[in-house]
Amino acid sequence: MRLAALAWRSLAARRLRTTLTVLGIALGVALMTGTLIANQAAGETVRRAAGELFGKAELRVQAFDPAGFTPRAITTLRRLPGVTAAAAVADRRLTVSTLPGPNEHVFNLLVIGVDPADEAQVRTYSLTAGSMLSAGSPRDALVNATWAAQYGLGVGDGLILTGHRIGLEPLRIVGLLDDVGFGSLAQGSVLVVNRDALDAAFQIPSPVTSIDLVVAPGHEADVETALDRDMTEPFIVEKVADAELQLSRAQAGFAGIAFLFALIALAVGAFLVANAQAMSLRERTREIGLLRAAGATRRQVLALFLRQGWTIGLIGSALGVAGGIAIAVLMISFLRSTRAVLVAGLPLNPLSLGLAFAAGLLVTLAASALPALAAARVSPLDALRPSRQPGRSLWQRLRWLLVIELLVVVIGVVLYPLDRGDGLLTTVPLALGVLLAGWLVTAVLLQPIARVIGRPFEWFFGAEGMLGRANIGRDRARTGLTVGALVLALAAIVTLGAVAESARASAQRWVGSIIPGGYAIRLGLAVDIEASKADFEATSGAKAATPIVEFPLVAREATKQTEVSVAGIDPTVYEDAGSLIFVEGTRAVAYQRLRDGGAVLVPQGAAERDGLKVGDVIDLAVPGAKARPFAVAGVIAYTLPARSPDGAFLISLADAADQFGVTRASLWAFVPQDGVTAAAFRAAVDEKAQEYAAEPLSAADLADSLGRSLDRLLGLFDVLALLAVVIAGLGVLNTLAMGVAERRREIAILRSHGMTTGQVQAMVVSEAGIMGAVGGLAAIGTGLLVAWAIVGATSARDFGAGLAIPWPLLISVVLLGTAIAALASIYPARLAAHTSMVGGIQHFE
Amino acid sequence: MPVILEAHDLVKRYPLGEGSVEALRGASLAVAKGEFVAIMGSSGSGKSTMLHLLGGLDRPTSGQVMIDGVNISQLDDEQATLTRRAKTGFVFQFFNLIPTLNVTENVALPFLIAGDSVNQHRVRVDELLELVGLSDKAAHRPDQLSAGEQQRVALARALATEPAILLADEPTGNLDYTTGAEILDLLWDSCDRLGQTIVLVTHDARAAAYADRVLIVRDGVIRDEIVLGRRPDHEARPLIARLAALGL
Repeated sequence: MRLAALAWRSLAARRLRTTLTVLGIALGVALMTGTLIANQAAGETVRRAAGELFGKAELRVQAFDPAGFTPRAITTLRRLPGVTAAAAVADRRLTVSTLPGPNEHVFNLLVIGVDPADEAQVRTYSLTAGSMLSAGSPRDALVNATWAAQYGLGVGDGLILTGHRIGLEPLRIVGLLDDVGFGSLAQGSVLVVNRDALDAAFQIPSPVTSIDLVVAPGHEADVETALDRDMTEPFIVEKVADAELQLSRAQAGFAGIAFLFALIALAVGAFLVANAQAMSLRERTREIGLLRAAGATRRQVLALFLRQGWTIGLIGSALGVAGGIAIAVLMISFLRSTRAVLVAGLPLNPLSLGLAFAAGLLVTLAASALPALAAARVSPLDALRPSRQPGRSLWQRLRWLLVIELLVVVIGVVLYPLDRGDGLLTTVPLALGVLLAGWLVTAVLLQPIARVIGRPFEWFFGAEGMLGRANIGRDRARTGLTVGALVLALAAIVTLGAVAESARASAQRWVGSIIPGGYAIRLGLAVDIEASKADFEATSGAKAATPIVEFPLVAREATKQTEVSVAGIDPTVYEDAGSLIFVEGTRAVAYQRLRDGGAVLVPQGAAERDGLKVGDVIDLAVPGAKARPFAVAGVIAYTLPARSPDGAFLISLADAADQFGVTRASLWAFVPQDGVTAAAFRAAVDEKAQEYAAEPLSAADLADSLGRSLDRLLGLFDVLALLAVVIAGLGVLNTLAMGVAERRREIAILRSHGMTTGQVQAMVVSEAGIMGAVGGLAAIGTGLLVAWAIVGATSARDFGAGLAIPWPLLISVVLLGTAIAALASIYPARLAAHTSMVGGIQHFE
Repeated sequence: MPVILEAHDLVKRYPLGEGSVEALRGASLAVAKGEFVAIMGSSGSGKSTMLHLLGGLDRPTSGQVMIDGVNISQLDDEQATLTRRAKTGFVFQFFNLIPTLNVTENVALPFLIAGDSVNQHRVRVDELLELVGLSDKAAHRPDQLSAGEQQRVALARALATEPAILLADEPTGNLDYTTGAEILDLLWDSCDRLGQTIVLVTHDARAAAYADRVLIVRDGVIRDEIVLGRRPDHEARPLIARLAALGL
């Protein structure tokens, strides 16, 4: 046996504490591992999805006109020098139903028409079952496997395209698409059919909106030159990297938040280690003094404690990595089911696993460092003085937390200039900084707060409650840090709840402001505005029916050209309906300028990013055509969602027609007359939608659907936060157990004076309850502060309604904190109750 | 016999509020190799402080301590520790043993600290256990031993490296009379038979009676010296009479 064995002996001698500490680190590392794997899976899936969508194609040429490419343009593209294969894709939104019967379902799907022979040259479809479309079978169809499972559909089942020519046979599902590639489009609500069959099913052929080109190696530049030279119709070129960027941008928020939670869990786990090591030092001060008296150097004592930390870190991290793989499986499965994030597979990258393992180990060593240094400072005289304990002030014991807080602040300040505008780089350190500050403040203010919060416990428990309340102040630093760790975890739940509530409120506000009247229909194919307006306006109960034309343009600045999404609206209808929220510019003046022509309303996100103000001029153009100047008439908080991340720039319908020749619309908004009930008007709009085989939309439904998606995604984060709460609960258990061990004599004296075992337990439970209640209350303040910071730092488009407070959740958090702490006190309470009176009275420090 | 431990004009001041208190005010002594010296004094006389300085556990405010020719007062913490490891052994009044080590491992602690394993010094450890009569409890843990047995283990450990000097601070203070006498017998035996130099701090005349020489500490200085000589009977009455004559 060597001296080093003392480290492991000490761990083995305190099995409960060692187990709890290892568990704490294991949970933290497990969350980190799970998050890293899930994030990696999401990233790889995005790359795979973009790759599968493009297949072998280097370029995707998209039609600028929503009516798609003309046959001549398609031929030109196929014949470009250097192009070895081309696959045209037509798409439209259609109402599709299952075969008539008692379980008939009706869906609104994105229907994609492809040429199977061309597709075979360009890409391979990921199928989970069945086979690809064949050219000789026009009724073949492919659907997303997850979507199909939801409705009990499988290979061989039939689907009917609503509104198709009479006498057509139903489609037959021949294959089920994986969740990547085409299967990922429209969140899985997609149907892939033979293009010829799709065209033949309706009077108007489906527009060919894009063509994927396979280019011979080394000829990409030639093809791009030829495109500019030979194409007479406007187009946009997209590459794989562009698609990948778009997909990954949508998922960036998830990755950041998930990682933040992993950091919180690891931080709480680290505190558990630091606490346990500090307790070990306190217990073993005399033993260490003895070792020093016998000739052990400071370095040897330091090594002993670091060795303990190393052991805990090794075992905890190993368990954590294994557990993390299980967590990753659950996370990925959950995310796939919600379709909130594009994710598939389980990439077990040794680098990620190694990173999580190393993080756990390093965090444990870092947490052990201060107690180890303190142990090394123990003098041999401490072996000789029974009650001599080195006293350190509260601030001396909290110094390390202050240092970490300052470090996080510095990191946040350094990262701020590097933020791309999505707020991610600053949000994570900002949130962490506020959380750590909450931890610190709780530790400092615990005693005065506990004095107040402890009153109800005293009233309820009597003398036991009074003693429990008094015990809180024994070791302010230790108890304060323990409660602070609980605050950290509970605050995460409060933050999630507040952010979700704010997002829901903003979604309501957003959806309500962009659709005048609150009702709309989306047609599969754009219809001529002049020809269709009268019919739409004739909808029962409608005061107005207004088209919204959507089309892409480019904004030109010197030699730079940026794609922008534009929507043409009727300013009068919008003004009368009170739609749109202006953050800059006067409403009446802005709408008048739109009516006058040559004006544009800019979304707030774009205005902030590009520094646009009312009065600035933007040059908008169809690619290849002359640019038209548009003056910024106003900046709006919310706008119609579009291809551009900021949403659509709004111009008048007249400008859309006169300046850019857009005269067809697939989106129509309906404003009800005064006095018409919501139910009646909705029924009328639904009827009109059915007439046109269109999809009915309502602001309320959209807001609801957004809220549900949010709840599903945030539900995952709630689980992660709960895990962090469990780790914090372990810390409470540890602290209470240590307190019981220190107070053996006191408990024995209480018992000798007539206190029953039940009363002893009540004393410990009330102490825990007060800790939990203080933790819950402090978590409310901290969590709301973090939520306010996130809402403030994130794009106004996402949180235009500001911070909304989830009052029911706040009450739940206080109850949760109290319950977790009370639960954690069960074992220490039993320990206290079973303290031997004789043994306790003979024990002394 | 050559002098193995010397102290010259030891002064030790401790800060107390805005001033300080002098625990030692210029104490000097010399201990020959193989000698058994007891230091007596009442509570607060400075005897424990003197022991701490003699053993290198603390540094004097002024003065010097020489152990086996090495001036330990000038050494930094690392060097003092290594010197302590090589040249001293300690027996304290309370909590001598490491609770997570068994008897064998506690006895071998100095070797473990030096980086060796128990097995490398198995013979020596077994000898010491034999000496203190605990060979049959080699695998026991401290909480499985009586107070007297624990002190015997502590004594064995203190002798493990054959230190230049063994310092004992009230080793029988926590023991009953009979058990205390057993410990003192062992101490005397190690001195008489093995030539171990021992400095014992005690307030108990019966314990001090085992020594060859008793030094009386009062008010931070060594006031008196009582030479008893090497006496196998350890009779305390002569010492008590001499102490009474000194007014103690």
